[in-house]
Amino acid sequence: MSSMAKITHPRQQINGEILPQPCPHLAEFLSNNGSKPFRALQDCLRVKPPGGRASIRRDPKEVPRCGACGESARPRLYACITCAAVHCHVPSGPSHAAAHAFSMPPGHEIAVDVDRAELFCCACRDQVYDRDFDAAVVLAQTAASTLASSATSAVQQYAPENLRKRRRIDYKPWIPNLREQYLVGKNSSPLNGDVSDLPWGLRGLNNLGNTCFMNSVLQALLHTPPLRNYFLSDRHNRYFCQKKSNADNAAKKIAANTIDGGGNKSAARVCLACDMDATFSAVFSGERTPYSPAKFLYSWWQYAANLASYEQQDAHEFFISMLDGIHEKVDKDRRKPESQGNGDCCVAHRVFSGILRSDVMCMACGFTSTTYDPCVDISLDLEPNQGGSAKTGSTKSSHSCNGEADCMNSSQNCGVSTLMGCLDRFTRPERLGSDQKFFCQQCQVRQESLKQMSIRKLPLVSCFHIKRFEHSSVRKMSRKVDRYLQFPFSLDMAPYLSSSILRSRFGNRILPFDGDEHLCSDFELFAVVTHTGKLDAGHYVTYLRLSNQWYKCDDAWITLVNENIVRAAQGYMMFYVQKMLFYKASEKPGPA
Amino acid sequence: MSVPNEGNDMSSSSDAQLSSHVFGDLLDSIIVDVASECHRIAKLGLDRNFEEEEEELRLSAQARVRVADPSNSGEANSKYVVDIFGQNHPSVASEVFECMNCGRSIVAGRFAPHLEKCMGKGRKARLKVTRSSTAAQTRNSRGNSASTYSTYSNSNSTSRLSNGASGVAGEEYSNGALEEP
Repeated sequence: MSSMAKITHPRQQINGEILPQPCPHLAEFLSNNGSKPFRALQDCLRVKPPGGRASIRRDPKEVPRCGACGESARPRLYACITCAAVHCHVPSGPSHAAAHAFSMPPGHEIAVDVDRAELFCCACRDQVYDRDFDAAVVLAQTAASTLASSATSAVQQYAPENLRKRRRIDYKPWIPNLREQYLVGKNSSPLNGDVSDLPWGLRGLNNLGNTCFMNSVLQALLHTPPLRNYFLSDRHNRYFCQKKSNADNAAKKIAANTIDGGGNKSAARVCLACDMDATFSAVFSGERTPYSPAKFLYSWWQYAANLASYEQQDAHEFFISMLDGIHEKVDKDRRKPESQGNGDCCVAHRVFSGILRSDVMCMACGFTSTTYDPCVDISLDLEPNQGGSAKTGSTKSSHSCNGEADCMNSSQNCGVSTLMGCLDRFTRPERLGSDQKFFCQQCQVRQESLKQMSIRKLPLVSCFHIKRFEHSSVRKMSRKVDRYLQFPFSLDMAPYLSSSILRSRFGNRILPFDGDEHLCSDFELFAVVTHTGKLDAGHYVTYLRLSNQWYKCDDAWITLVNENIVRAAQGYMMFYVQKMLFYKASEKPGPA
Repeated sequence: MSVPNEGNDMSSSSDAQLSSHVFGDLLDSIIVDVASECHRIAKLGLDRNFEEEEEELRLSAQARVRVADPSNSGEANSKYVVDIFGQNHPSVASEVFECMNCGRSIVAGRFAPHLEKCMGKGRKARLKVTRSSTAAQTRNSRGNSASTYSTYSNSNSTSRLSNGASGVAGEEYSNGALEEP
C-alpha cells in the first residue's frame, strides 16, 4: 500500500500541544507585552450560549464600525489590541486595518476579529494564533455554560478521576538470563515446525455442527497480537490454574465439612481462559491438521447456559460472551473489583477495553453533563438507505436530511457506506427527541438536549461490529442488511477521540491536553469476520493478515487470498490493532 | 451581485439593490467564517489525512471491480481443492474424539448437536421441561448476559446474525431468539 506523507506544518510541539510558529510581528508583540493584553480582552469576550461562538464587544450592545470609513457591515472588522481602534479589512483590497498598522508607531500590527475572536496580523495580512488568547476564549465559552462553581475546571474535566496517569517508559525486550535459559531448556521441548514458510498459529478449526460463528471469532482472537502474546508467554497457565482451583475447592470442602462423593463432573469449574490457553497451545503447536475446539465449546456452553443451543448463534454475541467469561472468572478469583477502564482486571479488558465519553448538553443554557463508560467494542449502525425507499426499521434520531449530509461529506464516493462514515455518525452531535428531555442541573428542569459520543481512551485492539441486523417491530420481521461497507486497512482514530471532539466543540481552540493520545491513534486491520447468506442460514468466515499476507479461514479450510477479496468482502466485525504500543510503568513490582 | 434595474419605481429598485447588498454581505460573512475555521484547522495541524482516506476508498472501489470481474479466478466462491497445507477436508469434519460429558466417541462434525442433547440444553431437550419455567429462565438469563460490556446506552444487542440450521417456523424459542426485549 502506498504510504502517504502527512503534510508537515511549521509548528512546534510543547508537551504534545500543537502550536504554530508565531509571525515575527506577533512574536515581537508577545515579547514586549507578554500575554496580559489577551487576558485583558476577557472582559470584552461575549459568548452566545449554548456552546456559542465568542465575539469581542466592549459593550454588549456595541455595533463596531471602521474608524476610517464607518463601515459596519464588512465581512471582517478588526480591533487593534494595542489601542482598540476598529478598522475594516478586505483581503486583496483596501484595508483600513493594514493602513492603521503602518500609520501608527510599531506595536499596532496585532488585531482581533471582532466577530470571530481570532487574532490577525495586519502586517502579514493573515490570521495568527496564540495559546493564551485561545485559553481566554475557552474560559469565556465554558463560563457561559457551566455551573459557577466549576467554571475554571470545566476544560480539565475531560479526564475521569480513575484514569491514573502512569509514566511512560522505554520498551526493553525481555532477554532470559542464564538461569532462565536453563529452566526453559530443561522443561520444554522444541516444536518441529513444518518445512514451509507458513506462519505459526495458522490452523483450520473443525466445524462441530453450525459452529462457524465460534470458529470465526476464535481465529480472530488467536491472532490478536496482545492476546496471542499473553497466552503464548504462559501468562495464564492452565495447569497451574487447574491445580490452584482444585486446591481451593478442597480447602473449601474441608472448611465446610462436606464429604466429597468423588469427582462430581458438574462441579468441575469452568475457566474459559484455561480453554483459551489450551486452544492457543494446540493451534500454535505446528500441527496443521484442523483442530476441533470441542472442549472450548463445552466450557462455553456451561458458562453461557442460555446460549447453549445448536442453532441461531451470532458471532458478535459469542465474542462479548467470551470476553465476559474470561473477565468473570478472573474477577471472582481476585475478589476485588478492578476498574475495567484501566484494563487492570483481566487480559480481555486489557486488550479490548476502551472508554467512551458521553456528553449531554442542554440546549437552553449550554450546561454539559459528562459520563464515562468502559466498552469492549463499538457497534455501528449502517447508514439509513440513501436513495432507495425511505422505510428503515428503526433509529429514532436519523432525520432524512442526515443521509444527504453524509453524501456531501464523503465527497467522491457518494452512495458507498464507509467505516469512517459510521464513526463520523457515531460521534456526531445528536439531538435527543422531545420525548427524551434531559434534566439540566443548571436550569433545574427537563430540557431538550444534544448528545455527543467520543472515545476517551482507545483500546489496544478496536473491534468494530456492524449492525447488519434490522428489526422492524411494526412488521414483526427481521432482516439482514447486505449493503457493502468500505473499511480501510489503515485507520486513524484521532478525529473520534474526546480531545478532538472537545476541541472542535470549542471552535478548535488550542487546548492543553495529555499529549500521548495522538501518538497511539493509528490502527491497522488484522482480522475481518464476514457473514454471507441469509439471516438464519448463513456462514461466517474470517480473513487474517499474517506477515503481510491475507488468509481465508473457513472452518477447516485455510487458503491464501488476495487483499482485494478482503477489501470487497462484507465485513461484520473488523479487528484493528494499534500500530505502535507504548509501555507504561507497572505499579506492581516483579512479573505483572 | 448585480440585479437588473427593472421598474421605473425608485423604491422597488433601491429595495432590490438593498436586499441584494444585504445578501451579498451575509454571503461574504459566511464565506469568511468557513475560511477562518479552515485556516485554523490547517495551521494547527488538525486536518484529517484526506489523501490516505481517499486512497483507501480508491483501493476498495478497485478491489470490488476486480472481484466482480468473472474473468478473474473466483477465489471467493470456488470450491476448495486443497488448502495451503495441501490438505483436503470432508464437508462434515471426520475427526473422532470422546465427549467430555458422557464419554462416548463422537464424530467432530456432529459434536454440537450431540452435546446439546447430552448436556440437556437446547430446543429439543428444553421441550421436555415445563414451558413456563424454561421461558422465564431463558428470558432472565438472556437479560443478564446481554451487553454487560457492550458499549453505550443507545445500542441494544439486537443485531445478531445466526448461522444455525433453518429454524422450525412457529417454534416459540426460535422466534424468541430473533426478537429482542
